[in-house]
Amino acid sequence: MTTQELIEKAGLKPLSKFEDRVVEGVYISDMVSDVMAGAKSGDLWLTIQTHKSIVPAANLVDVSAIVITGGKEVPAETVELASKYGIAILSSGLPTFKLVGKLYALGVGAQ
Amino acid sequence: MSNVEFGFVVFEKCFHCNRVRTYFTKEMVAILGDEYREGDHFWHRVENAQSFRFNLDCSICGDSMSFDDLMGLLYCTGCLSDCRLEILRKKLEAERTHMLMACGFLVESQLKPKQVRPDKLEELTNYFNQRRGTARSRIKIVAFDLEDGFSRCKGEFLHDVGMLSQEPITARRSPF
Repeated sequence: MTTQELIEKAGLKPLSKFEDRVVEGVYISDMVSDVMAGAKSGDLWLTIQTHKSIVPAANLVDVSAIVITGGKEVPAETVELASKYGIAILSSGLPTFKLVGKLYALGVGAQ
Repeated sequence: MSNVEFGFVVFEKCFHCNRVRTYFTKEMVAILGDEYREGDHFWHRVENAQSFRFNLDCSICGDSMSFDDLMGLLYCTGCLSDCRLEILRKKLEAERTHMLMACGFLVESQLKPKQVRPDKLEELTNYFNQRRGTARSRIKIVAFDLEDGFSRCKGEFLHDVGMLSQEPITARRSPF
């Protein structure tokens, strides 16, 4: 499934300009250090962190997109930096647990 | 990546001479505001950043390279247009390469942080590039070796701060 398909099927709201990518898996963490150590290229990163440092961290490990859950507001500078890197920042009003359920039902990360 | 250990990078400041020093600790609870005297220095913790340290292992020869001397990776915020590293960042960006700066630990006797060996930075760069698709873009990790250290630089670390805050933090104060 691509990022664009995921936006439509999971009801996510795109906030940044991005390059459409294939979503390979899912990684859930609110710690940048944990993502740097454990996330894989193509992962969809679910987090409630919105500081702009999530963008270079996401870029370092080459996640397919960052999903900010729980309806957290994302600062403009984070969105701007993500657009510059071509990284999708997507927003969901659902809490992380419910969104994960939805993604799992869609088959995301099941492979 | 192997031997991954999570812990804290502690930033301590001497309120007598204003120097900052940093070190890694695996303590479970990081206490801010702990003050103590050491010789002519009066240290207190100004920041605890959650981070990790690791080794890189070669799957072919079995050699292990430790990165215990790496305090963290910094990203350039473009704060000074005439900064040597900002100029390099723009040049690399034009080549679809994203730059991060590797920073060693700060000791009280020096203004700028210790350097991580260039060969280690090259291996770290290779490691991250091999983990990602480089057709779109690449990563380049360079040494943070500005002569005046952090006195003017407003680069930000890829660390986790404010994790005990009830709300995710959106702005960070510099520990320097």
